[in-house]
This record gives sequence, structure tokens and C-alpha cells, in this order.
Amino acid sequence: MPPVIDKEKCIGCGLCVEICPCEVFDIDHAPKTVPVVLYPRECWHCNACVLDCPRKAVDLRFPLHYMITTTDAAALNHKAGD
Amino acid sequence: MLPISKTIETDLVVIGGGIGGLMAAISAAEQGTRVVVLEKADTRRSGSGGGGCDHFFCYLPEVHGNDLDVIFQELMESQIGSCYDPLLTYQFMKMSSSIVRKWQEWGINMKPYNNEFVFRGHAFPGRPRIWLKYDGHNQKAVLTKKARSLGVTILNHHDVLELLHDGTRALGALALDNSRSEPSFVLVQSRCVMMASGTASRLYTPMSTPSTMFNTANSPANAGAGHAQALRAGARLVNFELPYRHSGHKYWTRAGKGTWIVIFKYPDGSNVGPFITKATKEVSDITSDVWNNVFTDMAREGRAPIYMDCSQIDEEDFQCMMKDFESEGLTSFLNYMGKRGLDLRKQAVEFGQFEPYFLGRGVEIGVDGQTTLPGLYAAGDVVGNVRGAIAGAAVYGWICGENIGKRYQDLEIKPVADLDLTRERMEFFSSLYERKSGAPWQEGNWGLQQILTDYAGAGPERVRSETLLSAGLKNLRELRELCKAEMKVSNSHELMRAAEVFDLLDVGEAIMLCARERRETRGLHIRKDYPFTNPLYNKKIFYIERRNGEYVVGMRDKYK
Ligand SMILES: Cc1cc2nc3c(=O)[nH]c(=O)nc-3n(C[C@H](O)[C@H](O)[C@H](O)COP(=O)(O)OP(=O)(O)OC[C@H]3O[C@@H](n4cnc5c(N)ncnc54)[C@H](O)[C@@H]3O)c2cc1C
Ligand code: SF4
Ligand code: SF4
Repeated sequence: MPPVIDKEKCIGCGLCVEICPCEVFDIDHAPKTVPVVLYPRECWHCNACVLDCPRKAVDLRFPLHYMITTTDAAALNHKAGD
Repeated sequence: MLPISKTIETDLVVIGGGIGGLMAAISAAEQGTRVVVLEKADTRRSGSGGGGCDHFFCYLPEVHGNDLDVIFQELMESQIGSCYDPLLTYQFMKMSSSIVRKWQEWGINMKPYNNEFVFRGHAFPGRPRIWLKYDGHNQKAVLTKKARSLGVTILNHHDVLELLHDGTRALGALALDNSRSEPSFVLVQSRCVMMASGTASRLYTPMSTPSTMFNTANSPANAGAGHAQALRAGARLVNFELPYRHSGHKYWTRAGKGTWIVIFKYPDGSNVGPFITKATKEVSDITSDVWNNVFTDMAREGRAPIYMDCSQIDEEDFQCMMKDFESEGLTSFLNYMGKRGLDLRKQAVEFGQFEPYFLGRGVEIGVDGQTTLPGLYAAGDVVGNVRGAIAGAAVYGWICGENIGKRYQDLEIKPVADLDLTRERMEFFSSLYERKSGAPWQEGNWGLQQILTDYAGAGPERVRSETLLSAGLKNLRELRELCKAEMKVSNSHELMRAAEVFDLLDVGEAIMLCARERRETRGLHIRKDYPFTNPLYNKKIFYIERRNGEYVVGMRDKYK
């Protein structure tokens, strides 16, 4: 679930690069630059980069095939006669 | 050859700064042991517990009363305790309350509800409760701070490539400095080694999203390092042949089943399980804990999808559940709900069963936390004969650290740079980097996944047999040779992933060797050529170890 960094908000502190458990960002991050998302397919959607970024500059894109599949609960319970 | 950037000497080196590793580091350091933690990512957020957890199984006398046996029996009988050693489980139970109190004192909120100890989740109606509800969202940050305050050296972005030993005892670790893309080695020589590298993900083709390898229930960065390295070093491992499968939302595997306050429903709205008719935060539907394969079984019957229905729970319970999702580190799921307009009060969510990973399959330890290789200790999800999970990792990590603190001075530090093993491993990993062109690590990982899925698959839908397993072993060994000859890495990140693949290949081989020896059907280990369950194996554990360069698979009694 690849992270997407808002270039306007990012201050290039490098925290997301450091803490990502899967090393999704380029480890050779230069201070004060926007990190490069080098390995998006290795993201575990743990959300650490989103939570810890001091500028709330990271957002996770949800891949289309990571769907949460659902059904309408009212209709489900109506069928059972509730 | 790639350069050695530093050589470090210490009393204890910890492999993996997850829950078990940090707890061992803290307890050993409290006794004056010099500790170095080698962590492939960053201990503040690494591992399966990096986002948080919310259930801590334990025995608290003030809640449970003075009879520990009641809680012990509950764990062994109803909570997949059957493959563990009772002796170690008992020891865990005895120690668990002291760890709960330490965590509370250090700043992990063990009483998030009304400042009281509350037990709920994974609870059977009318049975004792063993899961303490807590708020672990900050657990890794708290443990990291505590370890640092005691002088523990934490080396983040140091991936351990090999556990170093001389055939008689553990001597240290060979690590890759992956804090820069240009790879180099780091050698650590120590009196004791603590293995705490977590579970083994990425062994089987993902059931949920076959195209996407990192959509796993537990951390995909935990790739069997400890299992494989301990095995290669001669330590004993257990339960490899018994698959364990997790379940959660069908196409999104990072899920916490125990936090849901639900009833499992068929598409016609009727209840799947017989256990409850109304879900509350005290007692939610236990159907999938009891009937582990419910989602697969019903899919094969054509009765799926099975839905998790929270629409009829009280508002207060609903708010609890949402809060608990956060404690459990499921904040990306909460974000998803917001972005895609998913409201659990209005929509019921489909669940499915995932591919096998390792929980309670791994390194054997004694009641003191030491493995069968002297000087090597282990705790957490890497261990096979006592339950890992959050509490198991925390409590046994602590026990290991305490015993190491008492004993480390008896062992001397030996230089590791000149060991044949060190040299051979450094040459091998360097060769992957130095060759001009070759195959990416992913191809090796996919190859392993397809072989394990096809030849050593887990029930209920896949079966095993002598012919399948023997062919699978041959194919896996050929794949390993191909990987050795052709895999190419271009930087430290790829070298880390390639090393993971070689560890996973060894784990896969051990799974198949053990599965071939267990000539019966048990749980998800379905042997078509031995379709019965042998009662003589009920009190036995299967193990694998290397002796004189050969694998030996055997059986032993459970430690009482
Ligand atoms: C979303 C979620 C919710 C969960 N909720 C609960 C819950 O409520 N209750 C519960 O009991 N359990 C829960 N779990 C499981 C729990 O988090 C794990 O069982 C626990 O973290 C195991 O601890 P550990 O120390 O064995 O492994 P981990 O905490 O996973 O730590 C292993 C560490 O080793 C590092 N590592 C791995 N290989 C190497 C190497 N070669 N070199 C260096 N470092 C390495 C990893 O980066 C990691 O930091 C949950 C898991 C997830 C994913
Ligand atoms: S943590 Fe946030 S501000 Fe810092 S580098 Fe990453 S995106 Fe930029
Ligand atoms: S969500 Fe987690 S795994 Fe993904 S990039 Fe962010 S920190 Fe890394």
C-alpha cells in the first residue's frame, strides 16, 4: 500500500525513512529533501509513516485489489427476519 | 569482497528488536549486562507489534483468583495450546502478572478501561477469560526508550545474515549494515546470543492477494531468519509440520479478529456458529477460534461468503471496538473506512482464511529460555514450544534476559572474524552483489511460495503425501541451487531481501522434511496416504535438528 508524500508539507526530516519496517523509502535520504518511495510493493500498510510524520505529509494509497468486501447489513438481517 | 565496516564486542547480542528482543535486552541490561540489539528496521516501529496490539494473555491473581491451574487449563485446552510444552506454559503463566505491572509502570496502558484490568476478546461464553485488554499503540516506542535508558546499544538497519557459532556454542552474529544502500558487513562477538526475529511470513503464496507478497497478517519483514539460522547452527526446532492459518478481511490481511464485536453470518442472514445470539464487548462470536477453517469450509460448500456483522451491537460497544482497533495498530484500516465510506454499523464485512505462517512453530527452548545450542536463547514468535504472541514474547523475552544476566560471565568472548563460517558466508553474500547480472530476489521467493503451496500445502483444501513431499523437496533444492547461482542484488536492501529468501528456503525444506515424517493426519496437516490421527502422537512433539551436516527428524515427549 504505497505511501504518497505531499511535497508541499514535507520538511525532509527523514523520520519516515528511518522507521518504516519494510524499508519502502530510499535509505540514502539526503536531509531536507522529500524521501523517494523506492519499493512501494513492499509496503505492509502498517501506517507508521502516516502516524509519525511530524507534518502529516504522508498518505497511504489503497491498492484497488485490497478491497474490503461487504454486504448491506440491514438487508442481511432482513433476510433472517430481524 | 564487501568490506567489514565494524567489529563489536559485547556480552549479549540480540537478533531482532521486536517485543521479545527488547524485553530480553532490558532485563539483561538491568543486571549490568552489556547489550547490543541488531534490528533490520527501527525498533520504534519494527516487527509484528510495531503498530500496537490489544490482547495480552496472562494470569492476574487479583482478577482470576489464586488457582493458576484454571487459567493454565484454559490456555492449553481452548486456545490452541495443544502443540506447546505444558512446563513452559506454566512458567509463562507464573511470570505474566509481573510483566503486566512493569509495562503499566513504563507507560504502556494496561488498564485503558476505567483504570481497571479488563479481560475480554477471544472469550468463550461461560469460560474463564485469559486475554487482558490493553492499549499497545505505543509499546515499541516505550520499550525502545526503556532499553536506551539502561544503556542498551540499538543498531537499527542492521540485518542479521547469520548466527555465528563454532558447532558447540553461539558466538555472535554476522550483520549487514543496511543503513546505507552501499552494503557492508558488521561482526559482533559476544558471550551469549538472543534470537528474537519473530515469525516466518512469505513462505506460501498469499491466499488473499496472490499477486502481492507483502499483504501478510504478521510483519512481512519477519522472514524466518531465526528459524533458519538456529537450524543451520544445530539448534532444535519443533512443530514445523503443523500448519497454522490466520483469518481476517478477505483481501486485506492485516486484521485483528479478536477485536471485532460481531456475529458471523451466512449470506441468508442466519448465524454460522451456535455460541451467541447477541454480541457484546464481553462475549463476541468465538466461531472462527473454535472452527479455524470456517471460511474455507463454507467456501468449498458453496455457502460463503461469511460476513462479520457488527450492525446490531450497542453504540457503547461499537465505540469500544473502534478504540480497540486503534490500540491494535489497525489505523490504516480505520483510514480506509473513512476514505471509502465503510461504516461497520451499516455494512457487514466478508472474512477469509489466509495462507499458513509460523505461530508456535520454531526454535525449542528450555524453561530458562535457552535453546539446545549452548549460549543461544530465544523468545517470541520464533519459538515453537511455548506460545509467542505479545505476551509470550514479552514474558519469555524477560525470562531469557534474566537468565543471561545471571550466567553470561561464565562464557568467554571468542573472535569470530576467522571462523570458516564467517568467511564462507561473507564470500557468498558478496558474490550476489558482485556478479554482473542475474535474477531478482522476488523470483526466488515466488518459486518457494509456489513449491510449498503445491507440494506441502495446508488443509482443509490442500493435502500432503509422501510422493508430493518428496517431489517438493527435490524441486526446492533445485530452486535453491538456481538462486545461489543466479540471484543478483544491487544494493543493501536487495541483499537483505535475498538473504531472507535463502532463510525461507531452509525453513521450507525443514517443513517438508518434518511433514514427511509425521505419518498421520492432524489439524491442517492432511496426509492422504495416512488419513487417520494416531493417538500415540497426542503427547508428542516432532523436532528437526542438524547433526554432522545431516537433518534428523525425531519425536519426543512433551515437557510436563
Ligand atoms: C496488527 C496486529 C495485531 C496484533 N495484535 C495482537 C494482540 O492483540 N495480541 C497478541 O498477543 N498478539 C498480537 N499480534 C501479534 C504480536 O504482535 C506478535 O506476536 C509479537 O510482536 C511477537 O513478538 P516477537 O518479538 O516474537 O516478534 P516481533 O515483535 O515481530 O519482532 C521481531 C523483530 O525482529 C526483527 N528482525 C527479523 N529478522 C531480522 C534479522 N534477520 N536481523 C535483524 N532483525 C530482524 C524485525 O524487524 C522485528 O523488529 C498482532 C500482530 C499484528 C500484526
Ligand atoms: S516524516 Fe514527513 S516530513 Fe519527515 S521526511 Fe517523511 S514525509 Fe517528510
Ligand atoms: S505504511 Fe508502514 S510499511 Fe508502508 S511505507 Fe509506511 S511505514 Fe512503511
